[in-house]
Amino acid sequence: MADPVKLTIDGREIHAAPGTLVIDAAKQNGIEVPAFCYYEGLTLQAACRMCLVEIEKTPKLQTACTVPVAEGMVVRTETPQVATARKYMLEFLLTNHPLDCPVCDKGGECELQDMTFRYGVGESRFTEEKVHTPEKQFSPVVFFDAPRCILCYRCVRVCDEGLGVKALGVINRGVVSEIAPNHGDHLECDECGACIDICPVGALTSGAYRYQTRPWEMTHVGTICTHCADGCKTTLGTRNDRILRGNNRDRSGVNGEFLCIKGRYGFDFYDHPERLQAPLLRVNGKLEEVSWAQALNAVAQKFNQTLADGGTFGVIGSNHTSNEENFYLQKFAREVLRTNHIDHHRTGDVVTLLDALSGKEGKLATVADLYERKAFLVLGADLALEHPLLSYQIRANYRHHQAHIYVVTPGAVREDHYSTVSLRGRDYASLRDKLKAESELVVLFDDSYKGDDVRKLVEFGESLGIPVKYIALVDYSNSRGAVDMGVAPELLPGYKPSGQPGMHYGEMRDANLGALWVVGANPLKNGAQRKAGFLVVQDMFLTETAQQADVVLPAASAYEKNGTVTNATGEVQRLKRGINTMGAKPDLEIMGFIAREMGAAAALGPWTPDAVFEQIRKNVRGYQVPLPVLMTGGAAQTMPVNGRIPVESRPDLVHSDHNGLFASGTLGRYSKVLNSVMESRLRR
Amino acid sequence: MAEKIDILGAAGAIAKGLGVTFKEMMSPTVTENYPDEPPKFEERFRGSHILQRDENGMEKCVACFLCAAACPADCIYIEAAENTETTRISGGERYAKVYNIDYNRCIFCGYCVEACPTDAITHGHGFELASYNTSTLIKRKEDMLAPVPPGAHAPVIAAEEAAAH
Repeated sequence: MADPVKLTIDGREIHAAPGTLVIDAAKQNGIEVPAFCYYEGLTLQAACRMCLVEIEKTPKLQTACTVPVAEGMVVRTETPQVATARKYMLEFLLTNHPLDCPVCDKGGECELQDMTFRYGVGESRFTEEKVHTPEKQFSPVVFFDAPRCILCYRCVRVCDEGLGVKALGVINRGVVSEIAPNHGDHLECDECGACIDICPVGALTSGAYRYQTRPWEMTHVGTICTHCADGCKTTLGTRNDRILRGNNRDRSGVNGEFLCIKGRYGFDFYDHPERLQAPLLRVNGKLEEVSWAQALNAVAQKFNQTLADGGTFGVIGSNHTSNEENFYLQKFAREVLRTNHIDHHRTGDVVTLLDALSGKEGKLATVADLYERKAFLVLGADLALEHPLLSYQIRANYRHHQAHIYVVTPGAVREDHYSTVSLRGRDYASLRDKLKAESELVVLFDDSYKGDDVRKLVEFGESLGIPVKYIALVDYSNSRGAVDMGVAPELLPGYKPSGQPGMHYGEMRDANLGALWVVGANPLKNGAQRKAGFLVVQDMFLTETAQQADVVLPAASAYEKNGTVTNATGEVQRLKRGINTMGAKPDLEIMGFIAREMGAAAALGPWTPDAVFEQIRKNVRGYQVPLPVLMTGGAAQTMPVNGRIPVESRPDLVHSDHNGLFASGTLGRYSKVLNSVMESRLRR
Repeated sequence: MAEKIDILGAAGAIAKGLGVTFKEMMSPTVTENYPDEPPKFEERFRGSHILQRDENGMEKCVACFLCAAACPADCIYIEAAENTETTRISGGERYAKVYNIDYNRCIFCGYCVEACPTDAITHGHGFELASYNTSTLIKRKEDMLAPVPPGAHAPVIAAEEAAAH
């Protein structure tokens, strides 16, 4: 790194890296320079003129957001001239800005409001009537109020640069210029809502959160999004056991402030009218609402009876439940139900990847790696739609560090716009010479590469002679954790071989089992008929599987429980309970109660998330993560195995749902917002 | 001799005392005949709250939550909702679907009135709040709303939603 530049800001001597902007240098040293249009990570605009500072030997005030530091520079941010300039700038910004803060959703967390209080004058000299135009609706989730807009261009830039969508622009000139959507009167975009979050005023507001409450009335709970496998942290704004919004303005978590439509709005399945809030028991062929005691008793009795009769059990686990629940479930199945018929829907070939990487350290990439490493090979997946965070990280990397991106996919993808090479098909081997010239590489592959394809891919990567890291893309919030926790017939937790035969997902669905226990999965969704003698389903909704069940136990969603989940890159993060929904219980608690009713709870240990996580830490290699990191909302990468996995990994069972931005398996059907945006119909 | 002086002194004292009594009998009374007669209030007496309407009968409250934020006793609970074409309750973009004041907690400090940007909440002169049951002390919006002014149209409420209000 080059020698730091020495400069003086407000009489303090400051060292900053060459190329640092004055506004950043000041911020790094605790000196605030107010700005609206400047936004870390986006291109410079210098539109708002709020960051004007005095720089010695320049005749006029300069914008601190565009001037890089220079040796011996003397900057003053608090002179009377600067203070006056800020006052007048705010007066200008407020010329047409309506003073409707009491009804504006941004009121209380508005940058213009804060700055006017801090730097502005109390009164305006303008007596002319303000320009007023009616509010517009760009999409079901984006509303635009033109007079409130201060034309900082943040939304335009974040949509173009951050998301690569370019759905927002500015039309007209001068006092009538305003933000406009890409399709005249409406937006067709990712509907991610980044423009709403980044807006410093209340010009862009969220259709879902609109007029629900005020920012200071909510409790903010940082938890992990329950949809795709990227593991974004979403901070839920809750009030009275209702989730009102999701965002991540504090930039905690692996995703910084990024969220897609699912993370920002897709929580709304929790209060869907069809949400189950009481256990259902089949009486005379019909499902009827019963008490928890009755339902749990019915399950325990039938399980004990099946055990006594020597019947076989099948257990199907979930891609959405927490690590603790998966661990407890497999332990329950193997130790209490004495069965090895346990599986979940596998969405990526993690097992073969870990086996192929045996004996090598540090071969799994993290989400942060996607922003820092120098070259990427994307195989199969349409990242922007299926893994929006990973795509966002790579895009930011390209913009900030000019990373090289190689795309080998079946169809055109968004990464093509800035890739070094884009190939259609699967012939990544032809890129050998180009990849060899890179200094390092991260390989991302989806379920179209499994079994021997993965081994060949790893062989190819290792033959390049450069450091290569891998990501096996999976579908759901805890798809990776389900494999790690051994929810598979051939594997125990931590990829130890079970050494016993067991039925897999499809076989259990079609076998004449004594009892089938389905936790948070929907194996009968394609119209299959149940074969098991007794079917217990734990789910949030009356899915196709639940409709055929003998007992349905209403489960809590990921936003209603504590625990941990592991994302596609193997980073384990903590779920925090945001709300309680009446009638529903976390899956772990339900399993614990069933164990207690069966008289088998002692063998399984306590069923609190913390206690089960302690068991995981003892039993699953790689999960000895530092607890302070986890407890403070951080992410810790796990490498649950480093050696051969001597099992047949069954790549034939790996099948991804390839959910786009507006779908999320069975869960996605119950989100109002995901189904309300027009793109969900156009892109299906 | 000394006895005569004592008697005269006592009579004088009685006369002086009765003098005050007779004088006060003639002057107007300070006490009020509550509850037989309605009590009189100073103009700015802070009694139970009134939620005001504008001249068109629309509720002035726009559910900005500033009264709840200002309240030191945390006694105001609000749920906001958006005005639509068919259901127009307030003059602004949104209105208070639920507006409760818990008079168990209210200390009648008047901060809510100070905070209100639309002069929607004011202190009335109601003071007969005593109750044997604290649950009756939680007043709902309907208990506090001012009547629709004569000649004004009542707020527009769609038929299917009317049941909810």
